[in-house]
Amino acid sequence: MQPAPASADPKRRAKFWIGGGVILLSLVALVGWAMGRPNSTSFFYTPSEIVELPATAGSEEYRVNGKVVPDTVQRDGLRTSFDISDGATALAVTTEQPLPDAFWTAMANGSSEVEVVARGRYDGAAFQASEVLAKCPSKFKAKAA
Amino acid sequence: MSLGGLGRPALVAAFFLMALAVGFSLWGALRRKNAAAEAGRRALTAGAGFVGVAGLALVSALFAHDFSLEYVTNYSSRALSRGYTMAALWGGMEGSLLFWTVLLTLFAALALRRPGGTTSMRGWATVVLSGISLFFLLLLLFPANPFRVLADVPADGNGLNPLLQSPGMLIHPPLLYTGFVAFSVPFAFGMAALATKRLDGNWLKQTRRWTLFAWSALSIGIVLGGAWAYTELGWGGYWAWDPVENASFMPWLTATAYLHSVVIQEKRGMFKVWNLSLILATYVLAVFGTFLTRSGILSSIHTFTEGPIGRWFLPFLAAMLIGGLAMIASRLDALKSKNSFDSLLSRESAFLANNVLFLAAAFAVLWGTIYPILMEAVSGVRVAVGPPFFNSVFIPIGLALIGLTGLGPLIAWRRMNKKAFFRMVRVPLIAGAVAVVAPAAAGVRSTGALIAFALCAFTFTAIIGEFVRGSRVHRSREQLGWASALGRALMRNRRRYGGYVVHLGVVLIVLGFAGSAFRVERSAHLAQGQAMQVGDYTLRYERLTRGDTPEKQIFQANISASRGGEVVETLEPQRNLHKVQQQFQSEVAIATGPVEDLYVVVTAIDPDGAASVRAFVNPLTWWIWMGAALMAVGMSVLLSERPARPAPAPAPAPVRRPAVAAR
Repeated sequence: MQPAPASADPKRRAKFWIGGGVILLSLVALVGWAMGRPNSTSFFYTPSEIVELPATAGSEEYRVNGKVVPDTVQRDGLRTSFDISDGATALAVTTEQPLPDAFWTAMANGSSEVEVVARGRYDGAAFQASEVLAKCPSKFKAKAA
Repeated sequence: MSLGGLGRPALVAAFFLMALAVGFSLWGALRRKNAAAEAGRRALTAGAGFVGVAGLALVSALFAHDFSLEYVTNYSSRALSRGYTMAALWGGMEGSLLFWTVLLTLFAALALRRPGGTTSMRGWATVVLSGISLFFLLLLLFPANPFRVLADVPADGNGLNPLLQSPGMLIHPPLLYTGFVAFSVPFAFGMAALATKRLDGNWLKQTRRWTLFAWSALSIGIVLGGAWAYTELGWGGYWAWDPVENASFMPWLTATAYLHSVVIQEKRGMFKVWNLSLILATYVLAVFGTFLTRSGILSSIHTFTEGPIGRWFLPFLAAMLIGGLAMIASRLDALKSKNSFDSLLSRESAFLANNVLFLAAAFAVLWGTIYPILMEAVSGVRVAVGPPFFNSVFIPIGLALIGLTGLGPLIAWRRMNKKAFFRMVRVPLIAGAVAVVAPAAAGVRSTGALIAFALCAFTFTAIIGEFVRGSRVHRSREQLGWASALGRALMRNRRRYGGYVVHLGVVLIVLGFAGSAFRVERSAHLAQGQAMQVGDYTLRYERLTRGDTPEKQIFQANISASRGGEVVETLEPQRNLHKVQQQFQSEVAIATGPVEDLYVVVTAIDPDGAASVRAFVNPLTWWIWMGAALMAVGMSVLLSERPARPAPAPAPAPVRRPAVAAR
């Protein structure tokens, strides 16, 4: 197979590399810019770690995960509050957002194994969640088996 | 009667047959022994038969409610309807892997159904396909055994997660698996082309239909997943950039790039290394997706190494990736392009730009998906990457792609003079300008949405222009009416116009995405008789209706929606308690239409009947589903094309298909 004459042309080859470099750089720049957008990335903490954080850092959203402490769940209209724990520290979580069906199911069944991930801000006393995700109980079942 | 007892012996038999298939086909391929290669092919086919028996055994056990099998107990129950009993086959990890393997071996047997000699690529393709099958059989025999027997047989099973009990779940997972798995065939033939050094476009032609089939199944599967999320999950959206979704989206992105770059290799003999790398990437990402959804990595980034499956998948993935790259590297000399770019303004560069954008998107999604894992591995810091990241990277790339979708087909192969180019883009450009000015004058202020409208209008007009030019030829030459001329053009060059139909579908989907810029969301806790406002609508919670069926307790909120004082819709969202699982499940109510969807979900109900209501106005979402339907039409046109006969000898020059509209 005969190499194409054009690709041997150093000018063309230089153009190719420059073009490729520009594309790569723009991609890196785009990804970098996107990573810096508000709430693109958030730190993941345990309840023990988050209570150590200064409350003034409250403008940034964090994620926190832990097991729901049974019998702490209270709902009043849209507002729900409950405690989550990592075994060492309990953290109060409040949210105005609806909680996933899996959460209520597990609560109704008296499960003490519900793990949630909450995204939101810590105000020094409670974690104000803008989103709460619950791990699906059926996954636990399959896993434990 | 349950045939569950047959499952494990069938898997053991399939495992040994597949091991034989690997041995024989490898021997046949290395030593060029036709008889051995044929024996390998037959062993693979027989193995596929036994895997099929194992699949049937599990299905029969599910339908016979054979709760002596742990899998049947975990994922089905007596109360489960027939359809969802079938869905239980892929509702759990073990069953879904068995289903994967059934499809894999079936597709392998079909792709290799004609006997082929050792000198052909089939021999090596058999090696690759039986090797992959062997790995999955290993999984099914050891860490993910779907036929594990329970010592105490329960009277009833746990049932299927109610979330999975949706019509979408009957077709969404099988389509995704079909898509993932069918890419095994082009992957195997690509690797075989490397092994045999037959690196012309022949392997592409032989696997073209498999590629299209895989891509179509994956595309429709992804859309149905979005439709399922939209109608079942109750958060008003269809795509959340969660790792499961990303896992299916990444191979789709590389596969779409592959689908396009293949055209260049066929027409111009360029992009050979690129195509092989793309099919390798697609397949590795498909298997990575399968792994990601099963390893437990998803629900928490901490369970990475805990899942029993992860430890098996990682070496397999690494072997495929390193092996594939090494194969490509060892053949780099033979992979040199026959041609090179003539001009920047050429169809070739448009295809190159398409590929770069798709790959950039795939890389960005991959980065966002694995960044948390990397960060934790490197620094021990736990982070999460959210939708703002993915939207920020994907929207610009997606918009560039949609513009290119319209631009590409207007540019001629090799080179084009600028005058001709401007003549082609004039009308689409005007359409694009109108699509900015009109909504802007009507008060639309979202820059992103305006750009999207402009590009959609541009591309839509450009594609319609292609149809007009294509049918004009038939109209003048054969004295046909517009409709039959259009039909003739479509049927004569299905590949080209089928592709354009798919593109039109994509334009409509992007239009639907752009609508999400105008989405409105409101939540309120309402007593019966109270009302809330969302967008232009007033929603009145009239009353709560209770009901009871053998499966569930029903709580239905009757809500009337009025606009300008007039009742326009009545919506009946439900919040039900499924009895077997003791699981709450909200059923969304959607009043859908081309302008906007009114989407209402009840998230909680107090004992006194007061309800937490969450409502959305989702403009243009309807077009996403319409666009997907149009894409499916285009895919059928593409798939209906007769498969190209594989050339007996390496083709000396790329064959040019007759183009309807001569440029």
